[in-house]
Amino acid sequence: MTYPSIYPTGVTIYNPEKCWNGYTIFQVEDLGALLINMNGGEVKLWKNLHGFPNKLLPGGQVFGHTGERNIAFSVQDGIDLIQVDWDGNIVWKFNQYEFIEDPGEQPQWMARQHHDFQRAGNPVGYYVPGMEPQVDKGNTLILCHKNLVNPKISDKLLADDTIIEVDWEGNIVWEWVCSDHFDEYGFREDAKNILARDPNMRTAGPGMGDWMHINSMSVLGPNKWYDAGDERFHPENIIWDAREANIIAIISKQTGKVVWKVGPYYDTSEELKKLGWIIGQHHAHMIPRGLPGEGNILVFDNGGWAGYGAPNPSSPTGAKNALRDYSRVLEFDPTTLEIIWQYTPSEAGYLHPVDSNRFYSPFISGAQRLPNGNTLITEGSGGRLIEVTPDHEIVWEYISPYWGKAFPMNMIYRAYRVPYEWVPQLEFPQEVPIQRIDVTTFRVPGAEPCGCSNVTEVAGVLPYQADNTLCVAAGDEFDDKQKE
Amino acid sequence: MSYTIYTATGCTRCKIVKQFMRERGIDYVEQDMKAAGKEAFQKFYIANRKSIFRGPAGVEFPILTDGSTIRQGIGASIAFLRANHQLDGFFSVGILHKEWVDGIHISSGNPEYAVEFLEVLRYLKGNNMKLQLDTNGLNSQLLQQILDEGLADVVIMNVVGPRELYSGILGQDVDITEVEKTISLVSRFPEYKFQTMVVPVIRQEGDQPEVRYLTAQEIGETAKFIQEVTGSMKNPYYIKLWQPKEASDPRVKTMEPMTPAGLLSYRNPARVHQVFAEIEKAST
Repeated sequence: MTYPSIYPTGVTIYNPEKCWNGYTIFQVEDLGALLINMNGGEVKLWKNLHGFPNKLLPGGQVFGHTGERNIAFSVQDGIDLIQVDWDGNIVWKFNQYEFIEDPGEQPQWMARQHHDFQRAGNPVGYYVPGMEPQVDKGNTLILCHKNLVNPKISDKLLADDTIIEVDWEGNIVWEWVCSDHFDEYGFREDAKNILARDPNMRTAGPGMGDWMHINSMSVLGPNKWYDAGDERFHPENIIWDAREANIIAIISKQTGKVVWKVGPYYDTSEELKKLGWIIGQHHAHMIPRGLPGEGNILVFDNGGWAGYGAPNPSSPTGAKNALRDYSRVLEFDPTTLEIIWQYTPSEAGYLHPVDSNRFYSPFISGAQRLPNGNTLITEGSGGRLIEVTPDHEIVWEYISPYWGKAFPMNMIYRAYRVPYEWVPQLEFPQEVPIQRIDVTTFRVPGAEPCGCSNVTEVAGVLPYQADNTLCVAAGDEFDDKQKE
Repeated sequence: MSYTIYTATGCTRCKIVKQFMRERGIDYVEQDMKAAGKEAFQKFYIANRKSIFRGPAGVEFPILTDGSTIRQGIGASIAFLRANHQLDGFFSVGILHKEWVDGIHISSGNPEYAVEFLEVLRYLKGNNMKLQLDTNGLNSQLLQQILDEGLADVVIMNVVGPRELYSGILGQDVDITEVEKTISLVSRFPEYKFQTMVVPVIRQEGDQPEVRYLTAQEIGETAKFIQEVTGSMKNPYYIKLWQPKEASDPRVKTMEPMTPAGLLSYRNPARVHQVFAEIEKAST
């Protein structure tokens, strides 16, 4: 989050030998669905195709939306979910979830899709060897909104999250409504109190509470836990996370009930305390079979502000009562909650906690496990994509050069890496290594180099010391205090 | 004739029924179950619990009895006091609270007693109660009068099925033009909704009758029926789950119940003709 005024955009680091090379797709506000190669070359643009997110399909097809519902009346409702071929033809479309008549707008059917969807054949929407999403058939799970009032939660109108399954013909064959399971989420009384008064009210329409804000939804797929007899991890079960509530949950596809969860509290067991308080997280999913780390949960733990609970100095009402000003990418075992791998400011090389906000996206973002064990991380708010190795080396970095007009950020919601083979329309691109620039010597034109030509020695001065001379505890001192 | 009315302290509906009796010089004994009448009510309840409905919110008051007949709720009590058994069918126990009164069934009573029925509705409305009425399409003339006089705040119409199945589902000959008239009238109330319960339908009579649930296609046709009569695809329309325990016909009591998820396949064809079609959740 600490950026200078001037910095390069596009690809800034690239080591082809250590990368899992392929194309990367992401949504660019005011531009469309953009596909880039490893050197940042823009090899395909589906112009003005919206995407929340865009996902690529084998054969050079792409998922997206024709647009969003007027923001005066909705919180992030996508009009539809469409599948578009290489030439821009719509080959599949779903919009018939709700007929919407907004004042001054053309009445129309809408999907009210937001944040995620999954096509049958692949559990998570990204490349998994042997699990290709179907392109000409198959059901699609879609994360949607529905407005309702649930007096158990609040007397206010809610923008509730729902998950629907639609068949290839567009028939809704399964539906799950988040608020129906309120009692299963384990909110304490102080959380219920603030939820009743302020279920994350947004100003859209008559005002509505985006109380859970589920921002990812995927299928578990075949996994070792289920194979070992743990029914909670049935391959058809669905995992989602709710940023406002700090909950990651798995629901039974059969009953709709919550069968596994972490959150909303992370202080109820030693295992949870070690995992740490997950806040405002995105893209929680189970790493699919066939990828390194399969069966573990991978999540971008944003930090930022989220949760419901007791008021505190940073949250006078109890809304968004957990705060943290850096992010973490966690891979953890869902049965023991043990962290297996992580990428946090410490692994990024930043002195913790005083420099930790240099790895920080308080909203959006995601993480994709790649077949060679690397992880593609979307540090979304700063428009930064990095591919890191298991030992935390950044082997590819891209900074989006696109700032939105209405939304003055170069944010990227969620990027996905796909194999070259998924885009047969293109020749395999050249992979040109990009060495890290030494920022200590790099200068823009007109700037002078380091090194002073006029040096005076001062008698009696002492050597500089380590980080414990800072105003606040940092590094080892901070870590030791945390353990106390 | 002597009446006993079981009440609860502070119950507005009880006060209105007592007022009705006083205005007409009807003698009664009051037993307040939250005060001195607690023991009397307990005895009465134990002796008559089969006739007293106990909903999720408890027992609705008042309960009126003349020693042989028991009537529960404001509507049924006043109807009994006004016309004895003549209005049976029009009123039952409701589930709504405060100023709202439901359990008023336009199609289930004898239309010969329209004068008495409307009189009861006027009395309830005159005492600031809000009325939710239901109909299945029969007795459209009554509904017309209710609309003309503004006697209903909400009307719910159970459109039992498509035109060709209407008589079969209701088990009586139905003049479908009367149903159409009712559909048209219902859509003119300030607040209304149409609904269809996915019931088992006896497709073929006989020793071994063929019984099948209304199909998704038939629900689509029902939605189309509403569209054709009202000229609108934007009516509030709900699809409801049927429970075998609700059946009186032994031929359908053994039907395997449908699941709420099973109704999803019904919503899709319904939305072709009624875009706001939704599945009604079971009340808890």
